[in-house]
Amino acid sequence: MARSIYNALRIYWYMVEASIRAQMQYSYAFIMNILGWMMHYTGMAITMWVLLYSFQALNGWVYWELIFLFALSVLSWSICTIFFFHFRKLDVHIVQGTFDRFLVRPISPFFHFMALKFDVGALGQLFFSIGAFILAYIKLSLHWSWAEWLVFLGAVIGGTLIQGGMLVLISTIAFYTTRSERVFWVLIFPFRNLINYPLTIFPKAMQMFITFVLPFAFVNYLPALILLDKADPVFPGFWGSLSIFVGILFFWFSYRVWQKGVDRYNSTGS
Amino acid sequence: MITVKNISKIFYINKRQEGMLGAIRSMFFREYIEKIAVNDISFSISPGEIVGYIGPNGAGKSTTIKMLTGILVPTSGEIRVNGVIPYRERQKNARQIGVVFGQRTQLWGDLPTVDSFELLKQIYQIPEKKYRKNLETFTEILGLDEFLNTPVRQLSLGQRMRADIAASLLHDPAVLFLDEPTIGLDVVAKDRMRKFIREVNKERGVTVILTTHDMSDIEKLCKRMILIDKGKIMYDGELAKIKEVFGRDRILTIDFEGDVPFLEKGVQLIRSEGNRKWLKFNLEEISTAQLLAEIAKKNEIKDFIIQEPEIDYIIRKIYERGL
Repeated sequence: MARSIYNALRIYWYMVEASIRAQMQYSYAFIMNILGWMMHYTGMAITMWVLLYSFQALNGWVYWELIFLFALSVLSWSICTIFFFHFRKLDVHIVQGTFDRFLVRPISPFFHFMALKFDVGALGQLFFSIGAFILAYIKLSLHWSWAEWLVFLGAVIGGTLIQGGMLVLISTIAFYTTRSERVFWVLIFPFRNLINYPLTIFPKAMQMFITFVLPFAFVNYLPALILLDKADPVFPGFWGSLSIFVGILFFWFSYRVWQKGVDRYNSTGS
Repeated sequence: MITVKNISKIFYINKRQEGMLGAIRSMFFREYIEKIAVNDISFSISPGEIVGYIGPNGAGKSTTIKMLTGILVPTSGEIRVNGVIPYRERQKNARQIGVVFGQRTQLWGDLPTVDSFELLKQIYQIPEKKYRKNLETFTEILGLDEFLNTPVRQLSLGQRMRADIAASLLHDPAVLFLDEPTIGLDVVAKDRMRKFIREVNKERGVTVILTTHDMSDIEKLCKRMILIDKGKIMYDGELAKIKEVFGRDRILTIDFEGDVPFLEKGVQLIRSEGNRKWLKFNLEEISTAQLLAEIAKKNEIKDFIIQEPEIDYIIRKIYERGL
């Protein structure tokens, strides 16, 4: 068992390293990709500032609290895109028949496909979110105990798994309709924009949807309640510490569905 | 080595309806058409054989290969490759087979060719010594050293095929599946590829199954061929035999000087276009030289081409006459 995990990690590392080298070949695109994402998110932070300049606070959330919320979601999103962003392109592999090659290798197709790309462009988002997080932490004069740091860590890992799980889940559609990237753009980005704001500004139905159906609330809002010492009229405070468990469950579910998709592909080949 | 018993593969294809209304309707009510890609076929292949799996486009060749490699699950029937059921133990099967799809590469496009080999070494966990030895051997025979450090996407088709076939053999598979290994290659590259396949089969005892619709691939490589059309096996046996029966037909295309009414006994006029005539004859009845001499006696020949029957023609013949 330990040996096979070691082997898997070694193979993963070799493939990741190859993927990074492949991306480095296009150095201009490589740097622009990193810069582009940083600019994109900085723009969004400025928009929030403009918004709050006239309102001062949004449902009791001040500017740096919103930036904290924002940074937390971008942090886990950027880690998740490093590993899973290319899942949105699964449909291309299926349409062009290149997915077959993952099925004639002695390693799991999921693992193989995941190791196909290590998206270095996502580092731009990672740098932005770390910077924004540090700034918010200072501006809000937070002093976390180790328990709060644990909640934070759980939120980052959980958030990565939840959003990664969603990318995996959406890519599964490709096994059925052979066109899935659209669904990805329609689903992921609108919701990712929603969770930049406190959940309480949305209608109840939407809050429930974001918590129980697509568990985006566990990515940042619920953990932020604990970390910023805030209260929500509906959700109990401790829910924010459950992110990692929700993440593991959701990712495992997505992974199983993806495997079902592969089985389906095995019988249709389309 | 490989046993295939009564396998069938049925696809359900979405039926597209015509027009805008049809397109909208089919978004909600889908109709499916059953397409039998492979229809109850059986064969077995012994270790060390080279078998040509031949048939026209859409005959079910690729579907069969995909079932043997574990990519597709058969609708019914039984497959064993070296004792393994490919679709049930895909990864175990992957260790003992090598696969090359001529139409698309299995290598990492943006990386130097040798990096793909290194990655495969990791994926298959090939011991260093074995890897070195194999790479050396293949480099020598296939002349890989001229492009080992070139990114795969910059390789010519011939180079890419050489790289692909070398990649598929690095882990010493017992069986090699080649799907259209010579497609799009020029004569020299085709020849090199065939030579290599023969050598791999002879020196390493690798069982080879190759699909093609190029008859000369089969002639140069295989003793045995399996002919498939519309999902059914039309013929399974020695190539020599089928050539004896059907391979004696020739098509002669002649450009005449001036428009001439053409009449020659034992020769069939199959097409006529101005001064150009297509004639079919059989070598049993008349030799090419004889025929040309006969024609030249009466008419002036500007140009001519002689063609061997193509695989489609042979298949049509088998339909008409049976074996």
